[in-house]
Amino acid sequence: MSGRILIVDDAPFMRAWLRGILESGGFEVVGEVEDGEKAVTAFAELRPDVMTMDLVMPRQSGVDAVREIMRIDPDARIVMCSAQGLEILVMEALQAGACEYFVKPLRPCCVLSTLRGVLEKGR
Amino acid sequence: MDRARYLPLFLEEATDHLAELGRALLVLEKDPAAAEALELCFRMAHSIKGMAASMSLDPITDCAHALEDRLGKAQRAGRVDPVVELPLWFSALDRLERLLRSVRDTGECAAEPAVEDLAGPAGLKKKLQRTLLAA
Repeated sequence: MSGRILIVDDAPFMRAWLRGILESGGFEVVGEVEDGEKAVTAFAELRPDVMTMDLVMPRQSGVDAVREIMRIDPDARIVMCSAQGLEILVMEALQAGACEYFVKPLRPCCVLSTLRGVLEKGR
Repeated sequence: MDRARYLPLFLEEATDHLAELGRALLVLEKDPAAAEALELCFRMAHSIKGMAASMSLDPITDCAHALEDRLGKAQRAGRVDPVVELPLWFSALDRLERLLRSVRDTGECAAEPAVEDLAGPAGLKKKLQRTLLAA
């Protein structure tokens, strides 16, 4: 299954790592941005099938970006990219409208199966 | 994943993050109430943890994780303890720099003692005892 994905993460390394996983799984990466503010703009412009969203970023956090994107499109599909120890933030993001999450370290099988699941079931 | 392909990017970014962490710690040393510097430290530790975990560099992940925990507690408390916490954070920075150097030189982390000083009250007590004995 293919899908158009937008990557949101402030770390170029994590964006490159995630892009490598996604492309190996047949997904198309339509864009990469490095903070929550740019994520909102890029979402409106690119309308990806799914966004992967880091939680801890400068300027605007992942949770705040989810809230704004949900106001633009309540059907937006956002998968949070978390790290260990951020369970409370993940819960906030899910309550704000994110539909799934994966936990770093990002493993290809986990990332790909999560995204395929999101694309299959929709919102 | 082809780890070797991502190693140069990891090294470059982790080096930059440690430099930023060091600068922010110096700001906190002068002004323990500098909330922006504390937030930056947290973000750098968090980011290093995520990158190192992806690269399976466990000693770096563990140290960055322990540092991130303590920085997070200081953020929630709204204050930095310059006597107990700051020296620990600087020692974590030293440790991360040593580990990163070993990755640059050998591709792997050199052996280091456990992260006891950052891991909790027991480790902290040991650190304080050593500091007092050395004084």
